[in-house]
Amino acid sequence: MTCEELIAHLSSYLDHEMDAALVAEVQEHIARCRNCRVVLDTTQRLIVLVHDEGRRVIPASQRSALFERLQQAFLNRPQTLENSNLRTAEDSAV
Amino acid sequence: MDDEAALIDGLRRRDPQAFTLFFETYADRVYRLAYGIVGNEADAEEAVQATFISALEAIDRFEHHARLGTWLYRIAYNHALMILRRRRPEESLPDEDDALPMPSALADWSTLPEDRLLSREAQEVLRKAIAELPTTLRAAFVCRDIEGLSTADCAQIIGISEGALKVRLHRARLMLRERVSEYFGEWVAPENG
Ligand SMILES: [Zn+2]
Repeated sequence: MTCEELIAHLSSYLDHEMDAALVAEVQEHIARCRNCRVVLDTTQRLIVLVHDEGRRVIPASQRSALFERLQQAFLNRPQTLENSNLRTAEDSAV
Repeated sequence: MDDEAALIDGLRRRDPQAFTLFFETYADRVYRLAYGIVGNEADAEEAVQATFISALEAIDRFEHHARLGTWLYRIAYNHALMILRRRRPEESLPDEDDALPMPSALADWSTLPEDRLLSREAQEVLRKAIAELPTTLRAAFVCRDIEGLSTADCAQIIGISEGALKVRLHRARLMLRERVSEYFGEWVAPENG
């Protein structure tokens, strides 16, 4: 496996979507190629980092006002006929 | 009736408890996805509001073969894109057939201590680097690596094939790794050889 091939397969390797033979080739390559090992390790750390730190939530100062606005909108919706025949694809929601 | 079917049924009956559960289950998730696309709190909140209003208007027509969460994320993704286009009407998007540049920032910052990488400064570097990704790549990255949804779900939310999703995710990761490595690499003691 060349460096180019390793970089091209990096995401499949990290996402465990790679078959065993190729996994062995990746491991054999990074055992002798420092640069590819660094790219692999830093990409992996980056993914863990954004997943842990990306746990962003609606700011507390805005949350209850948003909830109340949407609850009002929800409760004031006009009633539609039950079992409406006007079923459309879910994409029409936008 | 499973939990999701019960929730949908409650929303259709305009049960206030169903609304509370719906909001508590999905509002922050929708906010995170939207924030990832639009990049600021005010626009992300607007996207949440628009998403919930669209969803509640459409819930009577919701077809239960789609999962509620995926359906909602898809609405959120589209609202976030609309808001973003209002802000940045002319973004040129990368050609996905272009050859990938080989990584060139090769300092090994992967062993830096947690507190360094979770510092305010590091977080700002990350936030900025994510915001600077082209929108198509950023959407794939936010959906898969920040929100942690499956390839199949993200492909459905964004409206592309799973293959295209994987290509975008891979490019996003490499581009982001390159950008942040330029900063984090300077925090590592220089290495010889
Ligand atoms: Zn290599």
